[in-house]
Amino acid sequence: MGQIKKEKELGGLNFEQAIDELSGIVASIESGQTPLQSSIEQYEKGMELIKHCREILQTAEKKIEKIAQEKDKK
Amino acid sequence: MAKKAQKVYTVGQINTLVKVALEAGLPSRFSVVGQISDYKRHFSGHCYFSLKDPSGILPGVMWKGKASKLKFEPENGLEVVATGHIEVYTQGGKYQFYADRLQLAGVGDLQLAYEQMVKRLEAEGLFKDEHKQPLPAYPMRIGIVTSATGAAVKDIATSVYDRWPCVKMLLCPATVQGDGAAATIATAIKSINKRNDELKLDVIIVGRGGGSLEDLWAFNEEAVARAIYNSKIPIISAVGHEVDVTIADLVADARASTPTKAGVIAVPDMEEVLERINSMQKHLQRHARNRLEVCKGQLERVLASAVFRNPMWVLNGPMQRLDETTGQLNDVLRRLLETARRRIDAAWEKLLQVEPHRLMGQRAVELGRLESGAAAAIKSVFAKKQLQITALENRLSGLNPKSVLNRGYSITVNKGSGKVVLAVSDVEIGDVLVTELADKQRIESEIKKI
Repeated sequence: MGQIKKEKELGGLNFEQAIDELSGIVASIESGQTPLQSSIEQYEKGMELIKHCREILQTAEKKIEKIAQEKDKK
Repeated sequence: MAKKAQKVYTVGQINTLVKVALEAGLPSRFSVVGQISDYKRHFSGHCYFSLKDPSGILPGVMWKGKASKLKFEPENGLEVVATGHIEVYTQGGKYQFYADRLQLAGVGDLQLAYEQMVKRLEAEGLFKDEHKQPLPAYPMRIGIVTSATGAAVKDIATSVYDRWPCVKMLLCPATVQGDGAAATIATAIKSINKRNDELKLDVIIVGRGGGSLEDLWAFNEEAVARAIYNSKIPIISAVGHEVDVTIADLVADARASTPTKAGVIAVPDMEEVLERINSMQKHLQRHARNRLEVCKGQLERVLASAVFRNPMWVLNGPMQRLDETTGQLNDVLRRLLETARRRIDAAWEKLLQVEPHRLMGQRAVELGRLESGAAAAIKSVFAKKQLQITALENRLSGLNPKSVLNRGYSITVNKGSGKVVLAVSDVEIGDVLVTELADKQRIESEIKKI
């Protein structure tokens, strides 16, 4: 349940946001200023984000879709 | 000399004759080269100008319908080849050249039109960097505006997918060559912008493959330039060959020199991004591990301190104190018990000194003494009370009215009324008197005389 929720949360992030957040986490842990507990939490989050990013990159669907003309739609 | 009456014409008749003569003697359509001067585009859309060369001047007109087809805007001093015919403008009394086509004599007219458009849009600020939108770093949905049938769509798609396979591409077909092409391109851009809440495109690539200036012309038209300029979605142009720079290229937020280069401009390289993610993962792991190591080190140092090395060290002090306190407590208790025991012993000693049987004897004697004492006391109290009573009796008897009788007095009572006779008025003759004497005897007597 928790796992699903976590994935859902991350699913809301687009690739750019995920990468940005990941960079932030790396910088934060790198600084050594974060308390251990949050370091661990951030590490876990970072790993989730990496997984999320990889998943985005792996969903490759090489196909060009034609945009339906507005007139056809309405 | 007899003058022959000469024919007098009207102005109209002469002009008509000139018109017929002139128009009959000229080819119905021809081209003429000259420099434009006195150019004026009337608000009606008709253009008026003169063509001149060192030898003279030819007034000209280009009607609105033809003028609107011009790719370039005529300017004074331009060397042009005009094609059309001569007519007499009778109302103005002059002949005019009616141009239906105007071409530049030197450079191509498209080239000029291009230069003119660049100048105009540049002056308006459409090419300024401040209007360029940044391209998204990781576009996931890309719109392509190009011909559905041309090679460009495949070139663009391949160049994008090769670098960034996770992207989704949507083609919005447009005509990219010929009359009306510019309008379809502009419409496609506008329509994508309008529907982007649903399409969710991060960037649009607008382009086509190489060709002549004429082939690429749609991308030099104002409608396309304005559509690109007004697009809320960043636009990458990818038109023609390396050397072709269209107006679309100048207005677009970024330019790919050819459709095959679109991918490089539009999307990041997957390998590089994965590399970056991997490096971040390593970084993250290394630093998280380092952080743990540091904390572990801190913990170890703490554990190495005397307190943890010899836990008893902590307990020794309090234990000693506990021992001491316990000893003190025991002493106090012992002393208390001692005192109590001594007191009990003393009491016991005392108790033993008293011989019970003797004590009983003494008590009995004492009781006897008390009993007799009490009896004597009560007797003497009785005797005293007896004396008191006798004295009171004596005193009381003195107060008895009849005691005076002992001293020779008597009491006389009227037998009839029962009252003691104290005065003569208390009796009448014939009343019987009863006299009481000291011996309590009574004498009755009758009154005979008062």
